[in-house]
Amino acid sequence: MGTFIVRRLLLAIPTLFGVLVVAFLLLYVAPGDPVEAMIGERADSVTIARLRAQLRLDDPLPQRFAHYAGNVLKGDLGNSYITNRPIVQDIRERFPKTLQLAGAAMLLATVVGLTLGVLSARRPGGLADRFALGLAYLGISFPVYWVGLLLILLFAVTLRWLPPSGYGSLRFLILPALTLGMRSIAFLARMTRSAMLDALNADFVRTARAKGLSERVVTLRHALRNALIPVITVLGLDFGAYLTGSILTETIFSWPGIGRYVVNAISRRDLPAIQGTVLFLSTVFVIVNLLTDLAYAKADPRVRYD
Amino acid sequence: MVSIALLAAALATACGSTGAPTRHELIDSRDNYDPRSLDPAVSTDVPTGRAVGYLFDGLTRFTPDARVEPSLAARWDVTPDGATYTFHLRRGVTFHDGSPLTARTVVASWHRALAPATKSGAASFLFPIKGARDYNGGTVKSIEGLAAPNDSTVVVTLEEPLAIFTKMLAMPVAAIVPEKTPPNFGEHPIGTGPWKLVEWKHDDYLLFAKNPNYFDGAPKSDTLRARIIAEPSTAVAEFESGNVDILQIPASEAGEWVEDESRKPLLMSTPALELVYVGINTTRGPLADARVRQAINYAIDIPRIIERLVGGRGTRAAGVIPPALAGYDSARKPYSYDPARAKALLAEAGHANGIDVELWVGMVPIYQRIAETMQAYLNAVGIRTKIVQRESAAARAAARKGETDMILKDWYADYPDAEDFLYPLLHGANRGAGGNVSFYQNRTFDSLVTASRRELDETKRSALYRQADSLAFIDAPMVFLYFYDELYAVQPWLRHFTPPVIFNGQRWMDVTIDRGSPTSDR
Repeated sequence: MGTFIVRRLLLAIPTLFGVLVVAFLLLYVAPGDPVEAMIGERADSVTIARLRAQLRLDDPLPQRFAHYAGNVLKGDLGNSYITNRPIVQDIRERFPKTLQLAGAAMLLATVVGLTLGVLSARRPGGLADRFALGLAYLGISFPVYWVGLLLILLFAVTLRWLPPSGYGSLRFLILPALTLGMRSIAFLARMTRSAMLDALNADFVRTARAKGLSERVVTLRHALRNALIPVITVLGLDFGAYLTGSILTETIFSWPGIGRYVVNAISRRDLPAIQGTVLFLSTVFVIVNLLTDLAYAKADPRVRYD
Repeated sequence: MVSIALLAAALATACGSTGAPTRHELIDSRDNYDPRSLDPAVSTDVPTGRAVGYLFDGLTRFTPDARVEPSLAARWDVTPDGATYTFHLRRGVTFHDGSPLTARTVVASWHRALAPATKSGAASFLFPIKGARDYNGGTVKSIEGLAAPNDSTVVVTLEEPLAIFTKMLAMPVAAIVPEKTPPNFGEHPIGTGPWKLVEWKHDDYLLFAKNPNYFDGAPKSDTLRARIIAEPSTAVAEFESGNVDILQIPASEAGEWVEDESRKPLLMSTPALELVYVGINTTRGPLADARVRQAINYAIDIPRIIERLVGGRGTRAAGVIPPALAGYDSARKPYSYDPARAKALLAEAGHANGIDVELWVGMVPIYQRIAETMQAYLNAVGIRTKIVQRESAAARAAARKGETDMILKDWYADYPDAEDFLYPLLHGANRGAGGNVSFYQNRTFDSLVTASRRELDETKRSALYRQADSLAFIDAPMVFLYFYDELYAVQPWLRHFTPPVIFNGQRWMDVTIDRGSPTSDR
């Protein structure tokens, strides 16, 4: 297990280097000039030229890349062109909030999705199954944006149970977590259902039943455990996507996380901020994938990494 | 898109009346992105400029209706040639940390804003000061035109006479900061302003507390929170829930608000100093011919665009000077919608078979819709138009380099004066980077604008503005679309709030929440 982790981490280095190169080059070829965003509407060409020189934007590309990569190795992602704040500090401020939102969404999705899936599988075609199916359809087909606004309208504006947006106590977390987790609830419910159906028809379940175990134990300890592998895959992929892709949810709910930060950075051509966040989020993705793989081993003893 | 419209409709019906809130705090919902910094020197965006207006003072300031009035300078004298200003500072003004304001502080502040290391994008607003440009370029050690003969007097010598200099001093970049500023000043600002910064949660809110020692009397309310709400529909929901006190209604939704009787009493309108126009590059191909540019103006049914796409919230433009500013000519008739005339003008210019042009537009939904509509009108008269969509900054950069035939964009005034439209948008000195994306150059126009910049007499200056504007109108270096009328919704419990004409014109000094009678008259 130890060597596996070390090997995976070592493999991550070329991956992240690739990310660094691509993020750097993509922004170089994309249209738009960061200085344009810095100066606003009214400027003179002398100021533009001077700012470009100060930001080393006119240096040859390899030199700029070497300079940037060198700083990254020292743990310095540079300062934002627009705010002049260190990118590392910006990420440190915002990432925990994104993590909090993603965590809450994931927790919600796991609890609701698994429950729905197990209930559906126990009596296919039953009431619970049809209800879960309907919910899953809605969850998958409704766009996040639409659902978010609908939830705000219903629970905040009309019923006044929850605040429409903002960051704060648990009450602020519920609507965005539901919005973000909706897709996973749907996916998990369906995945769990089909995996559970397979497991429930397997020989070992018949054996378990024959031993006289209660249906509860059979379902939860024997069948569910074996149905978990595909579920973990979905969870791992979704969690990674949440950390990087909660942009819409954060925007709708004014959640001060990293998704909004990236969008702002992109619209202002804040190169160091974009590169820094892309690099950081890629690292997170690599780590989440690793954790997912480790979770497989935990769920299924046949999976071994040595 | 459909879903948003539906939702807006649903919101409209869901709107219920709410009693006054129990909070004491004023809450603003206008910022839709995080201010870049609270350091006045680097302020180029609206959220930053607004916050700087709360925390700092300049020698002058704007009222909500965009007049300029004394602030840190109690009064000033101008030499008859208009080139030297002597400012007499208010005495006894202190910063939030208790340190005193002196003439030296003022001189140091402007040196700081102009220092190359500050990397200010707004430094050019101080270039009228003699030697400021060289100092900003790093070629001289100090600014020649600034002097502090004693603690309460600042003498400013200009490169050349500039009548509107006192308006420039009310801009964020000219705000006065303490002599010693720490490196993280943008996060922990200290000013002389009516509000002090309590807390800044990035992308979440800015919290201000009143400065009880403010030289002009403390604000009437204790705290002010500026929430940062990225999504306009969310801001609407916050307003409906009574969580924010004011709301800037997006242009695309304005129509529904105006038509809703129950919400009508909440609405306030203000003529924003914002021109929406199409810059026509006067140096590119057939567009160099004024007749072709006039044809473009005649080809488009602009009143219909304003009605259908802008919710009727625009005043048709017949020139670049907005109705709210001196120099505006209410008698001048805009180009009418006359496709036949457009075709005739094209033929007269030798393009009977039509021309091909590109129309650039940034990623602003409302402008994209306007561009598509214009495309249809232009195609109908033989001006075959191809739309090029780019991220806004990229489109602007291309236009500055002269790479666009036409670009649909807007222009917000930095300070409330017709000069801020005529000079940057159309003066030959500002072709390209300076803001003149039409690359318009007309010697008569330039000399009129140059003369107006020097003219100290208001009436004469307005006449010069009007003359220059009329000249540009005929030359048609742009499609004159409309001046946007900003629509605000204001909660019934809010007292003494006037929507500002210029972005930093409202500092919430007298604004209060009336918890007693939410339905009484304001």
